[in-house]
Amino acid sequence: MHVFGSSELLEDVHQKDLCIGCGGCVNLCPYFKNHRGKTTMLFPCTLAEGRCNAYCPKVEVNLDELSLSLWNKPYDGSPLGVYKEILAARSGKKMAGGAYQAGGTVSALITFALKTKRIDVAVLTDRKELVPVPKLVTQPEDVVKCAGSKFMASPTLAALNQGVKEGYGRIGVVGTPCQVMSATQMRCNPLNTEDFHDPVELMVGLFCTWAVDTRGLIPLLSECVDSACIMGMDMPPPPSEIMIINTGESNVEIPLDRIRPLIPKACSICPDMTSEWADVSVGVVEGKSDWNTLIVRTDKGADLVNAARKAGYLVTDKMPEENLQHLCVAAAGKKKRALSAAKEKGLLNTQQEGQRAALRIREDVVEKILAEDVEEVCRT
Amino acid sequence: MSYLADDRKNETYLLMGNEAIARGALEAGVSVAAGYPGTPSSEIIETLAEASNQRKLYVEWSVNEKVAMEVAAAASFAGLRSLCVMKQNGVNVGSDFLLHLAGSGTRGGLVLVHCDDPGALSSANEGESRHFARLVEIPLLEPGDFQEAKDMIKWAFALSEEIKSLVMVRSVTRLSHASGNVTFGQLPENDSKAYFRHGGTFLDPLEGPLISLPVAYKHGQQQEKLRQAVDRFEDSSFNIYSGPEFPELLIVTSSACHLYSKEAINLLGVEDRVGLLKLGTTWPLPPKLMRKQMGRSDKILVVEEVIPFLEENVKILVAELAPEIGIKTFFGKKEGTLPKVGELNPDLVLDAVSKILQIDYEPAPQAYIKRAGELAAVAAPGRDLIFCPGCPHRASFWSIHNILQMDGRDGFVCGDIGCYSLAMLPTGFGTLKTLHAMGSGTGLASGFGKLGRFGMDQPVLAVCGDSTFFHAVLPALVNAVHHKSNITLVVLDNSGTAMTGFQSHPGLPVDAAGKEAPSIDISGVCESIGATVKVCDPFKLEDTQSTLLNLLEKETGVKVLILRQICALSPEKKSKKMYDMKIDETTCLGENCGCNRLCTRIFKCPGLIWGKEEKVAKIDDVICTGCGVCASICPSGAIIKKEVA
Ligand SMILES: Cc1cc2nc3c(=O)[nH]c(=O)nc-3n(C[C@H](O)[C@H](O)[C@H](O)COP(=O)(O)OP(=O)(O)OC[C@H]3O[C@@H](n4cnc5c(N)ncnc54)[C@H](O)[C@@H]3O)c2cc1C
Ligand code: SF4
Ligand code: SF4
Ligand code: SF4
Ligand code: SF4
Repeated sequence: MHVFGSSELLEDVHQKDLCIGCGGCVNLCPYFKNHRGKTTMLFPCTLAEGRCNAYCPKVEVNLDELSLSLWNKPYDGSPLGVYKEILAARSGKKMAGGAYQAGGTVSALITFALKTKRIDVAVLTDRKELVPVPKLVTQPEDVVKCAGSKFMASPTLAALNQGVKEGYGRIGVVGTPCQVMSATQMRCNPLNTEDFHDPVELMVGLFCTWAVDTRGLIPLLSECVDSACIMGMDMPPPPSEIMIINTGESNVEIPLDRIRPLIPKACSICPDMTSEWADVSVGVVEGKSDWNTLIVRTDKGADLVNAARKAGYLVTDKMPEENLQHLCVAAAGKKKRALSAAKEKGLLNTQQEGQRAALRIREDVVEKILAEDVEEVCRT
Repeated sequence: MSYLADDRKNETYLLMGNEAIARGALEAGVSVAAGYPGTPSSEIIETLAEASNQRKLYVEWSVNEKVAMEVAAAASFAGLRSLCVMKQNGVNVGSDFLLHLAGSGTRGGLVLVHCDDPGALSSANEGESRHFARLVEIPLLEPGDFQEAKDMIKWAFALSEEIKSLVMVRSVTRLSHASGNVTFGQLPENDSKAYFRHGGTFLDPLEGPLISLPVAYKHGQQQEKLRQAVDRFEDSSFNIYSGPEFPELLIVTSSACHLYSKEAINLLGVEDRVGLLKLGTTWPLPPKLMRKQMGRSDKILVVEEVIPFLEENVKILVAELAPEIGIKTFFGKKEGTLPKVGELNPDLVLDAVSKILQIDYEPAPQAYIKRAGELAAVAAPGRDLIFCPGCPHRASFWSIHNILQMDGRDGFVCGDIGCYSLAMLPTGFGTLKTLHAMGSGTGLASGFGKLGRFGMDQPVLAVCGDSTFFHAVLPALVNAVHHKSNITLVVLDNSGTAMTGFQSHPGLPVDAAGKEAPSIDISGVCESIGATVKVCDPFKLEDTQSTLLNLLEKETGVKVLILRQICALSPEKKSKKMYDMKIDETTCLGENCGCNRLCTRIFKCPGLIWGKEEKVAKIDDVICTGCGVCASICPSGAIIKKEVA
């Protein structure tokens, strides 16, 4: 992994409008701040190498290195990444209920992990008015306060960095794929720090096709509904072409045509739909709004899921084959679109002197992905 | 008690030019003095304010220069002698009144002293004000040394009273702020009574109303007054010629430049070739005197600072006199023998004279100049223009800069005149993006704030100090409120006119003489005109930043944030530490990722130093004022503050 400094980060990410505002560079030092969804640099920093650059998911991310480090094998570009099993899941009877986005699987797993002291603190995403804000949660009962998806790019990882600064060594993180990718780079000790300790104990990834720019969405929402009444929002899976704003009394629908222009450019080069680097990944299930898709990837993830199920925090079921097929096609489609967009913009495996890539993937894997027929791949 | 206000006739003292001017006014029996602080003029009013505790004299720091002129003029209208003092650009502020005052005429002697700042040593401009004399048609005097500074003021009062017109006296930094011997004259008893006579006719200058109407009549009178002044100028002892009867080169000069010229002639040893005409009465020029001197030389060098005012006036006169005295060759700023900008000095005059007379003269050996330059580069410590240790402005601009970056809409701050003008530079994180006249920051902001309909969505801020607020910000702020301009004004209230030395202003509970005075509350004023007002302590960085962000994002219209914290140099605060500061060297991150010397590389309070060897930050206990602000910027909590018991 090539690590540069903050000036390269500004040049390669900020100036190219590729910052997703994940918060990976925030709270590491006094220079990067995120305010209302936008990450900015307060003062120049002169270091040639730094964590801001190393952790950023939009510059010099080497998927082979991540894969070797996590899975002990090269990155092969399979649509859903490495996994053990895919289940349907929802929160169990031990959970008191809450404003879950879907089945509440995420809230259930985090609550359980905190309760059983598998983690000491969880990095979650709350909102202040309409602005998503990162939050460190230590009390199991506070987890549900952060339930529900804020479909905006959020600086969630600022709380991870804060937690590390505060000395937490067993942190649970809930994040979108870009956030998971950033945190995974951090876990790989990119600056070869001596006596490095991986502070992340549990990584819960969310599915994500794209997010919406916070500063763009808020005025649009305020235009359509009284923003003080907004209880939650939903983005039903395709072919539905709407975003639903839940105001408690009624649901207001906003056509996606109005939302799409607010998708950050950074999402167009994101190759991951299912948070491939997490212990478990959670998304919705087509047609079953109170269930989740749960991808179990690691032993640690499997152990957590089993224990949570046994303890009554989680209920699981088999995932219908048809749903798996759809999920795979969606994930493979996103990967293919992202790589071709990155390639076109010169951001994939960039070779020129003095220029950096956003993504590095073995050329044969790139070729395979770009050539594949997504339906075909997902049939096997 | 000041000896300046004692009756010590014939005694000689070492006086600063500004003190000499004040003494001159006292010897003239001045009753009222008003001014607005501004370097290099401030000590004149300060000296007189002190004297007002001993003598019958009213002295004030007025809210601005125009009001100062008006206050002084009122005393003159009531028959008293009065003085009005300001720096060069102050005259611009008062110039509208000045024009009408020249038309209406005066009664008691009224003298306007303006101190110009060639080279802009402590100004944002190199403007000068001599041309106002020509513009509004009033006499202008320029003292050439310290004794003259005193004597000329006295004479100016007499002249003003005689011709019933305001008289301008120009000083410059090198006269106002340098010192020389001055022999005192008598101090009169001041038994003047104030009474404004207004019962006479419009045309009666002594008993009638004082107005500039009927214009043609009054304008005619004004020119007659100037003619009378010229008569006095012809044989004034302030115009001195020295040198041969028919010099090869005649230097015409005034003010401090006459000292430079004298030195240059002396160093070159050309006393027998060069004549020196030092003029004290520079507008209007006395034609008879000029004809006599100009007729005796073919080459004329005009030595003066800032614009070629004297040069042009001399040229016009010489053109008029051409049939009698022939055609002359001129040297000076116009043809480039002397530099057109900046201060002059003896070397520059020396260079000019040696070029004109074709004398080979090397001011200093080349090798010496080279070595001196090298030594200066390595041995002299770098001295950036920076805010003092513990200065509230550093904290204020830290917050303003940071919230503008966080806001991320490319907002900017319109600057104003005060110590905080330095925020143009790295010491204020380069936060100010415009800098013009007093009050212009808010005026510009008022205009920027209306450009939303043309697509401008950058947040617009302005800053001003507490003194500047009263001086010229108020009208601009009223304008912004009335026109619903979307701006945020940050008032940097450090409780004093810090830049010029803590003179009082209407926001403070004391007057120029240190007596109790009603203070005017800035936040109350802003609220009453309809602005949204918040007050914060700039040393509380988080509070200041969240308040400012909220104002910027939530409120529309005019928002005012008052950042109140006393200047670090103010008499109340000096030498009193709020906190003992120390650095925990084990937690200091130094140059490592995570800090990269934020405190000594960016924040840069002079109280913080970088330990090059140990690679940690340190506190310089002697310089640190113990404000505690740096503790809130350190990312690792390595800067520790302990309350001083
Ligand atoms: C921007 C975004 C896009 C998504 N796109 C898809 C998609 O295309 N397909 C799909 O199947 N699922 C998508 N999801 C995931 C889905 O909306 C649910 O979050 C997921 O199914 C978990 O549901 P749950 O009931 O278990 O969540 P809950 O138990 O309600 O918990 C939700 C968790 O999400 C976290 N969170 C909320 N907003 C954010 C945010 N902006 N960034 C990071 N973390 C956040 C909170 O910390 C909370 O713990 C998306 C989520 C986000 C935030
Ligand atoms: S290199 Fe380190 S100190 Fe510098 S900006 Fe990046 S994270 Fe901050
Ligand atoms: S994408 Fe994340 S890590 Fe990269 S610059 Fe933006 S906020 Fe920082
Ligand atoms: S800001 Fe703090 S950590 Fe950084 S150099 Fe200064 S004292 Fe050390
Ligand atoms: S406390 Fe810190 S900021 Fe304040 S004067 Fe001392 S060194 Fe400077």
